[in-house]
Amino acid sequence: MMLPQTAALLAGQNGDGGWPTYGDRVSNTEATSLATLALARLEGGAERAAAARGVHWLLACQNADGSWPLNRRMAAGSWTTALATLTLASLERDRAKALRGARWLLRQRPRTPGVVASLARRLAPYAPAVTLDPHLKGWAWTAAASGFVEPTAYAVLALKKLREHLPGTHVAERIDEAERMIDDRTCREGGWNYGNSTVLGADLWPYADVTALTLLALADRRGRPENRRGVAALRRMLEHVDSGLTLAWAALCLSAHDEDATPLLTRLCRAWERTRFLGDTRSIALALLAMSDGARWIAP
Amino acid sequence: MSRPLARRAFLGGALATTAAAGCARPRRWERTAVRQTERARVAILQAAGYDDRLVEVVRRGVRLFALGVAGKRVVLKPNFVEFDPGGVVNTHPALVAAAIEAFRREGARQVVVAEGPGHHRDTEHLLTASGLYPVLRATRTRYADLNTDDARPVPVASHYTGLDHLYLPETILSADLLVSMPKLKTHHWAGVTLSMKNMFGCIPGSIYGFPKNVLHWAGIPESIVDINSTLPVRRFAIVDGIVGMEGNGPIQGEARRCGVVVFGEDPVAVDATAARLMTIDPRQVGYLAEAGRFLGHLAEERIDQIGEPLDGLRQDFRVLPSFAGLKRFA
Repeated sequence: MMLPQTAALLAGQNGDGGWPTYGDRVSNTEATSLATLALARLEGGAERAAAARGVHWLLACQNADGSWPLNRRMAAGSWTTALATLTLASLERDRAKALRGARWLLRQRPRTPGVVASLARRLAPYAPAVTLDPHLKGWAWTAAASGFVEPTAYAVLALKKLREHLPGTHVAERIDEAERMIDDRTCREGGWNYGNSTVLGADLWPYADVTALTLLALADRRGRPENRRGVAALRRMLEHVDSGLTLAWAALCLSAHDEDATPLLTRLCRAWERTRFLGDTRSIALALLAMSDGARWIAP
Repeated sequence: MSRPLARRAFLGGALATTAAAGCARPRRWERTAVRQTERARVAILQAAGYDDRLVEVVRRGVRLFALGVAGKRVVLKPNFVEFDPGGVVNTHPALVAAAIEAFRREGARQVVVAEGPGHHRDTEHLLTASGLYPVLRATRTRYADLNTDDARPVPVASHYTGLDHLYLPETILSADLLVSMPKLKTHHWAGVTLSMKNMFGCIPGSIYGFPKNVLHWAGIPESIVDINSTLPVRRFAIVDGIVGMEGNGPIQGEARRCGVVVFGEDPVAVDATAARLMTIDPRQVGYLAEAGRFLGHLAEERIDQIGEPLDGLRQDFRVLPSFAGLKRFA
């Protein structure tokens, strides 16, 4: 029998083959990547056909430089390139296009402070507004912005999927630096938020969804103390969060860390009954992925 | 990254240019950005708490301005930046519920609640944990996630950030009336966060990043002015000052009871009044001082208080030491 989340995804696909995040909006790369990823491994003609149309949408949207825009109305390459690349790589489809996406990611550099700000930081390291090391490069949400945890996690997931097909040491160096950047931004109690652990001397709290996603990107290093601390923080946070997006990322994360995610899947079903995840394609797709053992397709 | 920016720093570039040229401060906005009218009207209404009586308070406030919303599409933009179970970070859901009810009773064709949280991408968590989701469900009100909404570029009408255009969500652009519903708070980067700063939430995070990082690089005060001058829709403000936040706002400050709701059409006048309620001199808040040159009225003598008088309702809100200058009234 078809899961209600599958039916919701099939019903939410736009005529152009992509998915919007909500309702009657235009298709975008993030929602389309996740929905395609979720449907492609399922049995059933309708699911496979929808996924094939999703792949077609992604392939048609790729820019000449290998990047993906947020949607067809916007030309510039975006952070969603990592998700589209991850999707194609995970489905083992169109590897050449996935590799072009990966190479675009490797060319991206987040914005870092200028000479004056760097000098001030060295002269007065005790009085920074934020305590992170801005010179550790991850990935930014957009050009001309700083590196943040979530786009970095997406990029790491995509690059780890393809690293054996990317010759040279550059990819290893970028992944290594990104992992150090992620560690640098760990909140005091473990886990991650958007990317600042402290501001003006005050500790900021971590978010469960970002923590789960980040740990998923680090799942090939599951034995590290940092990962174990992150998983413990995630478990604490999960006592207070019951949303589809967070529970789905958390279930994928725990599966990738060889931990039992079954209770989370039960909670995911209950959350669906309560809110239908507000119709958010991303949450629905990730939930479906979590319920169909999807961690093995996306985790490194 | 951004630093607290006092008025002096914010205006530094402009003043330097002025000194060199030996003339008045240069104008940094298009003629289309000028919204200043002869005088502004603001209404402070007292509200004892977040209870059933709030609908009548909001209705009275809305009626004072004869907004003519019958048959119109009203978009409510509360502030739901983050969730802290023990904090007072967000616009109280009861005030949002009261506004939904009040505008419907005034005949609005559609009332939509819209927000683009600056930090969180997990909208479902933010709405359910904060208590907004039950309100939306009970009132059968549509919610629009401005972070992922369809957006189109709009030319920037003032020139403080250096950005040529801003992508704005269709939900906002298609509104007949956009109602900013901030919490009365201090802010560790901007000094205060009120109806103008609340418009940061109209900027799609999927395009500008989380926490709207492009705008942080462009300057928070500068971005506040550019966003507010560029929004091409009719505006109204309802400030939740029943319980505000002082100290290390907008997230980690402490609750401060004020027992008021502030209403008005001129965002500068509303924010200037709300700042005065916190015993903060709006002329010392860089972005308010600059917006007061063309977007609305800052000067007390230009603002008609058509609700309760300010005196007697002021509270001495604590600010971070870096913003001590905001408490010095010229």
